[in-house]
Amino acid sequence: MNERKWKQLFAAARNETPPAPSEELAATVLRAIRDGGQAGRPETISMVDQLNSLFPRLAWASAVIIALSVAADWGLTAAGVPGLGEGVSQISAQWFLTPNGF
Amino acid sequence: MNDDAELLERIRNGAPDDFAEVVRRHQSRVFAILHRYERDAHMVEDLAQETFVKAWRALEQFDGRAPFEHWLSRIAVRVALDHLRREKRRQNEIGLPELGEDALDWLRRDDEKSELDGRAAAEILDLAMHELSPADRVVITMQEIEGCSVKEICAAIGASGVAVRVRAMRARAKLKRALGKLVKV
Repeated sequence: MNERKWKQLFAAARNETPPAPSEELAATVLRAIRDGGQAGRPETISMVDQLNSLFPRLAWASAVIIALSVAADWGLTAAGVPGLGEGVSQISAQWFLTPNGF
Repeated sequence: MNDDAELLERIRNGAPDDFAEVVRRHQSRVFAILHRYERDAHMVEDLAQETFVKAWRALEQFDGRAPFEHWLSRIAVRVALDHLRREKRRQNEIGLPELGEDALDWLRRDDEKSELDGRAAAEILDLAMHELSPADRVVITMQEIEGCSVKEICAAIGASGVAVRVRAMRARAKLKRALGKLVKV
């Protein structure tokens, strides 16, 4: 399609008259608002909606925390600092699993 | 009659029935927007209702910095976008609409004197735009028919300026190909 026809097509589409709204639209909208339990005031945002809207940020924050933890574990292991698991094993070996333990 | 700000203040202060006046003031604009994306008048009425109900529910978020009509228009565009996404999923089941004689005649002729009325143009665009994604359709409609700026499109669909420009360019190319296919039919 050439540029002239393209322009003619959109110019004609701009001139199309939309259908007229029905006279009951305002009443129907008010009924729908009331049926939705919103007769008093516009609704406030629920906790679930807030969590939904925060979800991408929460997901990113979780991913960053996991990545930092893995990096810290790797760094500490490389530096020779005993990890938490190692400390627990040591305590178990020294205190709980000795012949004279509890 | 009072302006929108005063009317909205009354509604916020506990006069929900005054929202009917908001609907009456803005229904023509909302219908005009929705009709760009849906040809069926009954469906447009349903979508207009959905738009106003969503506006009511989000009324607390309207801060009055932009005109109410712009804010409401953005809600209408998002309602239309959701509708197009639902329809896209159903498209294969219901099939595509057919073109009328006037539209077919205009597509086949290539002389400068061939005339096209708004209805036939909308039929052609509606059919060709089925080849586009819902977001592409919204971008090209807002840009080419509504005459919206990139900034307005960004605000309506929640995308960056670069994303909108790239999408508009691709959508134009896709639409030209789709229109080319219609000419050959």
